[in-house]
Amino acid sequence: MLSDVSSKIKNISTLEYKEKKSEYWGPTPDEARKITVNKSHGLQDKRMTLKEAVAKYIKDGINIGIGGFVNTRVPAAIIHEIIRHGARDLTLSFQSNSICCEWLAGAMILDPDRVSIKRVELAWWGYEIIGIAPLLRYLAGNGMLEMDDYTNYGMSVRFKAAAMGIPFIPVRDHGGSDMELVNKGKMIECPFTGKNIYLLPACHPDVGIVHTTAADMYGNARIFGAYCTCPEIAVAATYTIMTTEKIIPTESIRAYPNLTEIPYVAVDTLTEVPFGAYPGACYGNYWFDMDHIRMFRSLCDDFRKTGNKEGLKKYYDEYIFGCETHDDFLEKIGYKTLRKLKDMDHGQAIIL
Amino acid sequence: MPEYSPFEMIAFTGSRVLEDNKIVFVGTGLPIIAAMHAQLTHAPNLYMIYEAGSLAPILEIGMPLSVGDTRAARKACYLKGLCAVFELTQRGFADYAFIGGAQVDMYGNICSTIEGHNYDKPGIRFPGSGGAGAMAANCEKTIAIMALEKRRFVKKLDFVTSIGFGDGSPDYREKAGVMGSGPYRIITNQALFGFDEETRRMKLLEVRPGVTPEQIQELVDFELIIPSDIKEMAEPTEEDLRLLRDVIDKEGYFLKRVIKK
Repeated sequence: MLSDVSSKIKNISTLEYKEKKSEYWGPTPDEARKITVNKSHGLQDKRMTLKEAVAKYIKDGINIGIGGFVNTRVPAAIIHEIIRHGARDLTLSFQSNSICCEWLAGAMILDPDRVSIKRVELAWWGYEIIGIAPLLRYLAGNGMLEMDDYTNYGMSVRFKAAAMGIPFIPVRDHGGSDMELVNKGKMIECPFTGKNIYLLPACHPDVGIVHTTAADMYGNARIFGAYCTCPEIAVAATYTIMTTEKIIPTESIRAYPNLTEIPYVAVDTLTEVPFGAYPGACYGNYWFDMDHIRMFRSLCDDFRKTGNKEGLKKYYDEYIFGCETHDDFLEKIGYKTLRKLKDMDHGQAIIL
Repeated sequence: MPEYSPFEMIAFTGSRVLEDNKIVFVGTGLPIIAAMHAQLTHAPNLYMIYEAGSLAPILEIGMPLSVGDTRAARKACYLKGLCAVFELTQRGFADYAFIGGAQVDMYGNICSTIEGHNYDKPGIRFPGSGGAGAMAANCEKTIAIMALEKRRFVKKLDFVTSIGFGDGSPDYREKAGVMGSGPYRIITNQALFGFDEETRRMKLLEVRPGVTPEQIQELVDFELIIPSDIKEMAEPTEEDLRLLRDVIDKEGYFLKRVIKK
């Protein structure tokens, strides 16, 4: 019999918290498997517009697993479409993210009847060099989000456990920190070593959203640069919406099958969206647009400091609601900016 | 001695702490600068892990501004995802964690999650652990950069994000199930701290020339161990400053930052 044990974590900090129930904030492993088993596993053309993809899979109350890492290969185009479509009471799951979460948070501040975030399972939400995330600070600081904290490894390996089809995974971190107290993990005594070991529950998002370097029409996808946790999220999620910089021939996929990081079975919809991670970066294609991210962040910070939503509203009206597609958004950014960002990638080698 | 800024002193001291033939798991900003400086001076065979998935890149197209940056992936030996590099770390290949934080206590536990007592409505919410909690748990030694202020060197943290020596008991880390040996150095611009082997409490090792141990204690809310053989911190030379300013952070993203109170 395994028994719950605890590290000696107590009274080290001044923390006050409510114990979380041991539950999955999304499909259970059994539910996730059932959905997967009942899907067609044949090679099918997965291409559709982003509007169709989002309308088909994004519903109120779901857990959305967000791919990328901070400003890198983030599913920007998909987030814009989700905001246009609307989705309430969302649970967000990710390791580290920046503008994607802030865009959703801003949409919630502007119109909670259209977009709202209820819970977040995460490791980190911020902009690194560009600064803290003002809307996280506003929403979480005021108790408007239920938070569940892990490390970057913790969130990554929770997706990995889900992708492996197992309900939990032992890890060597979180124990002895206050994350042991506040998150959904548990300390047990290892049945083999007799020592304490921390277990994390798998994380199956209802819908994973990822942007990849290239994919064939069936969704077999390549990723160059850091994989972040995109392969794990795509396989863990019950449905995966994928955008890709470029759709490539299946012959190319079959010529170099080792390069496929996400297999077609894990992909439900595919949309070719060049600059689909913009203003984030996509290795081999473009660097991130610090100016645009800074501009949006400063509007969020103005709201946080003054409560005035005007600047934010203008941004959303211009760049999100004023656009039908990501191409419309890119047109507003302009060729010169995109060209500059392309140069700043320094032509990293990718294989298409 | 040439004039240098607090950030330059921290980066230079960070570089001094890193040994050759090791791997340092770096966070954004000063840790990267310190590691680059070490590579260019005394530790040419020191390599970096970046948490988005890269091991031992060659930083030839500019200093990475994010640990997931294309620049941090440039000409790496190995480029995968977060799971891969954190698992290398868990397995014992990462010698140093190089992290930052908002608060530190006498046992080297670090907070980067909230300021305030109530987790569900904290007042100030920070970005969260990111990689720091995992790095502090499983890299062999933890190095942290902190601003030397009483509100940051505190008796009790608001939240333990990155494990240090916990409550100081000898088996705290073992009971926590973590692998690394724990806190090693805390770097500030005016003092370098280590940890006492017996008590696992923070110990003053070096002070900036002209600063007294008493002045350092004044800036720390808990009682420091102050041995009699405190050394003076080495200061960056003209050549060190040239490397920091003209080679490493030539765009001035981190070293030319203005400190906001």
